[in-house]
Amino acid sequence: MALQTQARPSSQAGPGPMPQGGKSPRAARLTPHAIRDQRAGLSFISPSLLVMVALIIYPLGYGLYISFFRTNLRNQWDFVGFKFFIQTLTDPAFIHSIGVTLLFAVLVVLGNLVIGTALALILNTEMRFRTLFRAILILPWLFPDVVVALIFKWIYNPLYGLLNYGLMTVHLIDKPIAWLDDPNLAFVAVVISCIWKGYPLVMILILAGLQSIPKERYEAASLDGAGPIGSFRHITLPGLLPVLIVSIILDTVWWFKHFTIVWLMTAGGPIDATKVVSIDIYRVAFQNFDFGRASAMAVIVFVICLAISIVYRKLVRDNES
Amino acid sequence: MRSGANPAYYVLLSVAALFVLMPVFWMVSTSLKPETELFLAPPRLWASSPDVSAFIRVFTDYPFVDYFRNSLVVVSASTVISLAFSTLSAYGLSRFEFRGRASFLTFLLISQMFPSIMLLIPYYKIMETFGLVNTQVALILTYVSFTIPFCSWMMYGYFKSIPRELDEAASIDGAGRFATFARIVLPLTLPGVVATAIYSFVTGWNEYMFALILTSSEDMKTVPVGIGQLIGQYKIQWNDLMASSLYAIIPLMIIFIFLQRYLISGLTAGGVKS
Repeated sequence: MALQTQARPSSQAGPGPMPQGGKSPRAARLTPHAIRDQRAGLSFISPSLLVMVALIIYPLGYGLYISFFRTNLRNQWDFVGFKFFIQTLTDPAFIHSIGVTLLFAVLVVLGNLVIGTALALILNTEMRFRTLFRAILILPWLFPDVVVALIFKWIYNPLYGLLNYGLMTVHLIDKPIAWLDDPNLAFVAVVISCIWKGYPLVMILILAGLQSIPKERYEAASLDGAGPIGSFRHITLPGLLPVLIVSIILDTVWWFKHFTIVWLMTAGGPIDATKVVSIDIYRVAFQNFDFGRASAMAVIVFVICLAISIVYRKLVRDNES
Repeated sequence: MRSGANPAYYVLLSVAALFVLMPVFWMVSTSLKPETELFLAPPRLWASSPDVSAFIRVFTDYPFVDYFRNSLVVVSASTVISLAFSTLSAYGLSRFEFRGRASFLTFLLISQMFPSIMLLIPYYKIMETFGLVNTQVALILTYVSFTIPFCSWMMYGYFKSIPRELDEAASIDGAGRFATFARIVLPLTLPGVVATAIYSFVTGWNEYMFALILTSSEDMKTVPVGIGQLIGQYKIQWNDLMASSLYAIIPLMIIFIFLQRYLISGLTAGGVKS
């Protein structure tokens, strides 16, 4: 990648050929400087652009293509048109798993947001042991999903697990509970494990956002007689809003498509109570080898994720204006 | 918000720390239990005769040496590639006005919206076509495709915070574009680069789903896949499992302890401000 960018300087002195399609008024006014910008910009992004075309756009297009076929990806390629899309959208089991996923994502994001923001606000104050607390509280972010799933599965173990032991020791329950065998309890148990893993990232993002708010603003506010609540409402919150919105968008999408922790803890059970849509797709693809249908499901999930982010972005714009 | 040491803050932080540390404690305690104490009801909080044999067994009874080698190779390679590519593209985005710039930036964000499972099926087929299934290359390509968009976005925010006058001064001094980038501007973004590297490393090191599908033989599997399949066994050896999990976390801990101060400052100036 270094070659492309280094080989340029000599040719950049002259105006050079116009970039393609110079019809728009902006293009017609391109100065030599602007043309240099065009070329330099493109050459700097070209390695990433190539990777993204080859490894994201092409596979996505291919995935879309697969969704129109009944296929095992080897010798069977029967064109079925939109059949799988219609089938999926009218399938109560799929609607159920979308519902489960939405509830799951909303609860996890809400938990992450409340815990992450509260901890970030506290960690942003001058206090002793701040670095130590911060290091401990970021810890779960470093844990692989696989490890998180296994620790919690072991903690929730009805006979040998820490949770039942703790609850029985303090006499909150008197006989062991099989947390992951009851549909409602399993759902809550999985959500809690995911919050354990997920809140540190939100906390880091918000902490970063808080530290980017200039201190002078707080000083100005306190000169104007604002109390702690007033300065939180008028300075912290507006200053934090962009970070909050981005964190919410990314976090929602991340958890909406989450697979690993749920898969390893419950594999979608009991009675489909934790069958999030990624697990549904995974099963259809790699256990039933119904790749076309699975791709159609994945396309639908992508549209949902995109819709979520568009709604959020619209909210942000309305808020800004 | 500088009311000083509010005792309620310490209580809240301690409760949160306890919530974090209890599972970690249980993990360490389990990994030190001999098999005889593993399945006791009620469980013992701490083994009466703790031993470290599980930590040795991980390497003698299971192919964890292979798993670690694969993880290290794949994740290091993908981190280096993704850093190189994303710093270049982020610099380009922050310094030059060019057609397609806005769409490229939007695409970086939208790429976070793809359900990764949507890529899994085509990847599986494409890798098979190119004979890359069950190779480290397949996983490197996969992880690079995850991390480049997000890292570019993070680094973009970081480069924006460095004044352009610096570039102009360098170009007056006769430095070429690439030299300006590599020798003048990039070194100033070190905290951002470190934060991005940590992100990229952690993402790759922890990835499970793609590695599960794209590798098949024991000598090509990564650490998360290796740990994950221990739970599929008939009788789960929780002590071995927790010992191997602790090993999986150690590289991240080491990185984190040395670099944590960069992480927050890197994110502060970085892409999170969008």
